[in-house]
Amino acid sequence: MWLVRPALPSDVNQILEIAGTVDSETARLSSTLPRQREALAEKIQHSQASLAGTTSGDSQPPRMLFVLEDTATGRIHGTAGIDARAGNGQPFYNYRRDALIHASHELGISSRVDVLYPSHGLTDHTLLCSFSITPELRNTDAFELLSRARILFMAGHRDWFTHRVAVEIQGVQLADGKVPFWDSLGRHFFNMDFDTADQHSGLLSKTFIAELMPPNPVYVTLLSESAQAALGQPHELTVSNLELLQREGFQAGCYLDIFDGGPVLEARTDALHTLVISQPKTLHGAIESEVESAGENGGDLCLIAAGEGAGFRCTLAKAAGTLEGTLKVPVKVWEVLEKTAGDEVRVAPC
Amino acid sequence: MLVIRPLQETDLEDLYAMAQKAGKGLTTLPADRDLLQRKIAHAQQTFNQRCAPEAGLYLFALEDTEVGKAVGISGIQARVGLDEVFYNYRLSVTVNASKELGVHVRTPTLHLSNDMTDTSEICSLLLSDDYHGGGNGLLLSRCRFMYLDEFRKHFSEKVFAEMRGVSDEQGLSPLWDALGSKFFDMEFTQADMLSGLGNKSFIAELMPKYPIYLPMLPDSARAVIGRVHGNTAPALKMLQAEGFNFNGMVDIFDGGPVVEAFVNTIRTVRDSINRHAMIAKKTINLDVPASERVMVSNRSFRNYRVTTVPASCISTDTVSLPPAVAEALQIESGDPVRLAPLKERPKAAVHALG
Repeated sequence: MWLVRPALPSDVNQILEIAGTVDSETARLSSTLPRQREALAEKIQHSQASLAGTTSGDSQPPRMLFVLEDTATGRIHGTAGIDARAGNGQPFYNYRRDALIHASHELGISSRVDVLYPSHGLTDHTLLCSFSITPELRNTDAFELLSRARILFMAGHRDWFTHRVAVEIQGVQLADGKVPFWDSLGRHFFNMDFDTADQHSGLLSKTFIAELMPPNPVYVTLLSESAQAALGQPHELTVSNLELLQREGFQAGCYLDIFDGGPVLEARTDALHTLVISQPKTLHGAIESEVESAGENGGDLCLIAAGEGAGFRCTLAKAAGTLEGTLKVPVKVWEVLEKTAGDEVRVAPC
Repeated sequence: MLVIRPLQETDLEDLYAMAQKAGKGLTTLPADRDLLQRKIAHAQQTFNQRCAPEAGLYLFALEDTEVGKAVGISGIQARVGLDEVFYNYRLSVTVNASKELGVHVRTPTLHLSNDMTDTSEICSLLLSDDYHGGGNGLLLSRCRFMYLDEFRKHFSEKVFAEMRGVSDEQGLSPLWDALGSKFFDMEFTQADMLSGLGNKSFIAELMPKYPIYLPMLPDSARAVIGRVHGNTAPALKMLQAEGFNFNGMVDIFDGGPVVEAFVNTIRTVRDSINRHAMIAKKTINLDVPASERVMVSNRSFRNYRVTTVPASCISTDTVSLPPAVAEALQIESGDPVRLAPLKERPKAAVHALG
């Protein structure tokens, strides 16, 4: 079975494998997942502290990292994170794409001029981040589980999060590793290649962005053609992720990633599809054979989440309702969720 | 004899012919009869003090008295940017540095600026092709510095000149193509013409207001920022010899440099001396090389006249002028005149005699 649970310090090696070597396809796809052991260990530690509620208020807002585990083998196949406050107490950087009309009444000319404004507008929004999954699982149920489990976590811990939620989608990167948007803009100011900047972004405080980012708005028309074409475009490998998030209710707004020009999706937290359709249920106390048959006779494939904080578990299983409003699931689901009959779970149709 | 005098109505046709020949380089003097007529009228009002001092436009003609024709023009605008908005880019540097990463990046940046507002501009210099050489260009340009010096309260302490930037034979400007054209859907020559015709408000409405980071422009455009057109190189050299320096401002269309100087430090001003005119009885050979001649002005605000005489005419308190020169300057014996070297070399001569 597939299980999403909080990352543990013992997961470091396996996560590093996914976050991986430079050759791995997944490697480029999440800049918020550190590729250095120390940084990753620290991130996991922070996640554990956040889940235990022992982080300190505003300066250290909660950041959670979850992993996707195959319970049969114990192997980890993906990661997904939530930052309760984008920027984590520091400014969160984006470009806001906006337009000015340059019009001359005298000459009868009116032209639209697109401008990228440096922006902190998304600071303190809740941010979905650090998503990575082994390539063979892309577009499978496990993929959906890993991504949506976070929304169920948010549903169960609603007051940890803000009213708006955002996701940064990786932007266009060519086969040779070049990032057109970076090469046309950021490179001139940061004096480093995209990968270096990207790694710094995952590792260092954001001070370097404040120090090196161009301080004034940038005219889109002065970017290279390939950079203009890349604005707000997702990396082709993120398309399935993008579609999933769109089904969840996320929409591209006016914000762009400052490094690769990729789109930033936004949604109202309370309007997220999984959150809206999820329901709290009590596990039905049936004997094993009945439950087993319930599972096999259909029932619907559901995301089932349970547990608070560090005890959070989410899995994917067929489940059926009962007349009393309880939820019948196979007993092995009880085990995976570490719950038993009569316990509360949160369920959402897959 | 070649004499500088205020531009007048009768110069219109000569001026129009010169402007037509000059082509597209001269923004402030387009070949447009109505506009030129208005400029002449404006200059006349200025000399007759019938307009506010700050609105003054001082246009001088170089007249060949033998043929009674204007063969050159030069001007001073008392103040720029008072009713229109005057734009330049200021070429400055943005530094981004991160100690943590050991990165220190300098980014040359163009900032839209109105810094030249309320400053006097020397402008509109044009000399007929047949009269090039022999110091005529120097006379046409430098007579203005004597005027600035003479009537300082009408001008700012600092004066500047906009130098024509780089464009090719077809009138295409690399900076315009990389920058202006992205915001103005028109050719450089058309934009330049509109600007010269006084339709300047379109600039304010259409120009990019935020700073332009030069690394985002192509090399061809970056290379011409602060550079002058080949035809303008001699004029730049002349102004540099007077003490004008690039002040970091460039033209918003073609990137040509702005050079400026304080009036009191301009070489012609520093080297000027006052004398009383003495009409000479003996004949004086006026036909000496430019390097041996000095400019002589009649110091008149309304009827400013300047011509050149040999430096050898200068004595301790007076300068000997042949009757023809006195007539051209419209002065009589005993009238005060002001003298300044036409070229760099006679400087020593003037002082030796003075």
